[in-house]
Amino acid sequence: MTVEKILLGFDPEPRNILPALKKISASFGFVDEENAQKMADYFDISISRIFETATFYDLVKTKKRAPLEIQVCSGANCATKDAYRVIREIERQLKIKAGDQFNPKIRLEIVSCLGQCGNGPVVIINETAFLRVTPRKIYDILKNYL
Amino acid sequence: MGKETKIITKNWGKINSQNIEAYIHAGGYEALKKFLFEMTPVSGVEEIKISRLCGRGGAGFSTGTKMESVQKEKSSEKYFICNLDESEPGTYKDRMIVDNDPHLLLEGIIISSLIVGANKAFICINGNYRKQAHILELAIERAREKGFMGEGILDSQYSLEIEIFSGAGAYICGEETALINSIEGHRGEPKARPPFPTQIGLFGKPTLVNNAETICNIPWIILNGGHEYAKIGSEKSPGTKLFILDGAIKNVSVVELPLGTSIRELIETHGGGMAKGKYFWFAQIGGSSGRLILEKDLDEKLEYDREAKIPVGSGAVLVVDRTVDIHEMLLSWTSFFRRESCGKCVPCREGTFRLWEIAKRAKDGKISERDLETIPDILWVLGNATFCPLGKFAAVAFFDAIDNFRKEILKEKNIN
Ligand SMILES: Cc1cc2nc3c(=O)[nH]c(=O)nc-3n(C[C@H](O)[C@H](O)[C@H](O)COP(=O)(O)O)c2cc1C
Ligand code: SF4
Ligand code: FES
Repeated sequence: MTVEKILLGFDPEPRNILPALKKISASFGFVDEENAQKMADYFDISISRIFETATFYDLVKTKKRAPLEIQVCSGANCATKDAYRVIREIERQLKIKAGDQFNPKIRLEIVSCLGQCGNGPVVIINETAFLRVTPRKIYDILKNYL
Repeated sequence: MGKETKIITKNWGKINSQNIEAYIHAGGYEALKKFLFEMTPVSGVEEIKISRLCGRGGAGFSTGTKMESVQKEKSSEKYFICNLDESEPGTYKDRMIVDNDPHLLLEGIIISSLIVGANKAFICINGNYRKQAHILELAIERAREKGFMGEGILDSQYSLEIEIFSGAGAYICGEETALINSIEGHRGEPKARPPFPTQIGLFGKPTLVNNAETICNIPWIILNGGHEYAKIGSEKSPGTKLFILDGAIKNVSVVELPLGTSIRELIETHGGGMAKGKYFWFAQIGGSSGRLILEKDLDEKLEYDREAKIPVGSGAVLVVDRTVDIHEMLLSWTSFFRRESCGKCVPCREGTFRLWEIAKRAKDGKISERDLETIPDILWVLGNATFCPLGKFAAVAFFDAIDNFRKEILKEKNIN
């Protein structure tokens, strides 16, 4: 879908700014300057206003994404269920560090509660959620993505 | 009213709740009809005030009082917001409401909106709850087909549109003024009060914001009356509450119990006690912004009361056992608040960052004398100088941890 098509799906009203940003981000992986400018023109606001909003929210990306994005919840409930061991295990197996931007192919991010606390630890790989992940299980999960 | 009273969970696991016919068959939308044809907005607010229902989103403010102030505003446009942003670690009760009884929530939203005179309602849902947003979309369609919303509800003079607004991943957007900013397309930073949203809220119009669980009590109160409701639960804050039991217990679950239930009863009776081979160390009540309690506090009752030693918060109960590393918990709490601090005010932006750094050093066994000296200062600033409550929240568990587990944190204790 083109960015124009996405935008036409929304009335150009303030309450649609965030939904439109989310949709563009999800469709193109992130919001780049060109699309942000189009959005600014469509909503009749400045491009800086677009980025001001966009950069605030986790679910709106303003940077190109890595082919493999892994997120691990370290919320308190997951933390009591060995989430940090899962994180260390991923770091060890993939030879990366959480939060590191150096590797262009893989990104490991620690995130807050995903509302699945009862089924933690929760790991999300490229938008697919895995529940009750253990340090032992993580290898089999990662295998499918490498 | 006995202890068995179920208001929010009465249909859970009993009916196929996504089917509007099943909900109606179980007595659903009767409260809406009663309100439409036998009551007025003023008598509606009156019942809710008599019930002494208070907000389940954390602050515990009187729902009737807040409703009345929006009702009294003279504006042709008003908004109602159902706060389903729920992103406090350990808290997923509002998600369970949508999974198990979406129409109860809708009925509550419709009645609440009509009471305050709003003809537009937003359901602001956590951006990660995609499945639940879909459930609600379908439920709204079904309710519209039945004439429970839209133009001229059940041929009355009332009208209401409901729109789902899906969040974009920011804990602070659960705070009502930040939430309003995010619907308006801005950064989700809190705004100064006054003016209160009840006067100048969404798009500058009077706005009532209520938590999803709070809203689910409204149909029951309308049907059974405020006096009946006020008989349930504790003297200080009547009604039932969803408690989310998790951690080192046998039954990880969400249960509905009267307010005033003790933490011990929650853990032992409803949580099934400690899981096999686990020993109680402490519990955290109300999510990551909640206090830590020790064995000696287990008989504290959970109820909304400004003077309560242990605030109920969101109703989350996390039981932590002796095998858990306190350093990982410190890292979890501090990294959460560091990430979620919106950055608007310096005390919180800096304070949450410094606590996180200290937590990392503590984990590496490198905590310094200087750290120990500054911790009380940082906690004081967070507790007293921040723009919104998030800063205060960030200090709570850290304070209790340092207070109770200093030895473990400084690694002087032998690991058992
Ligand atoms: C940092 C922060 C996060 C909050 N998150 C939520 C939330 O996720 N859900 C919610 O209902 N209320 C949340 N609140 C409370 C809201 O600001 C507001 O008081 C509440 O939605 C009012 O509804 P109630 O009166 O029914 O509780 C939060 C408050 C703060 C300060
Ligand atoms: S206390 Fe924290 S979250 Fe609240 S306004 Fe200040 S920086 Fe933002
Ligand atoms: S704490 Fe990890 S999903 Fe809630």
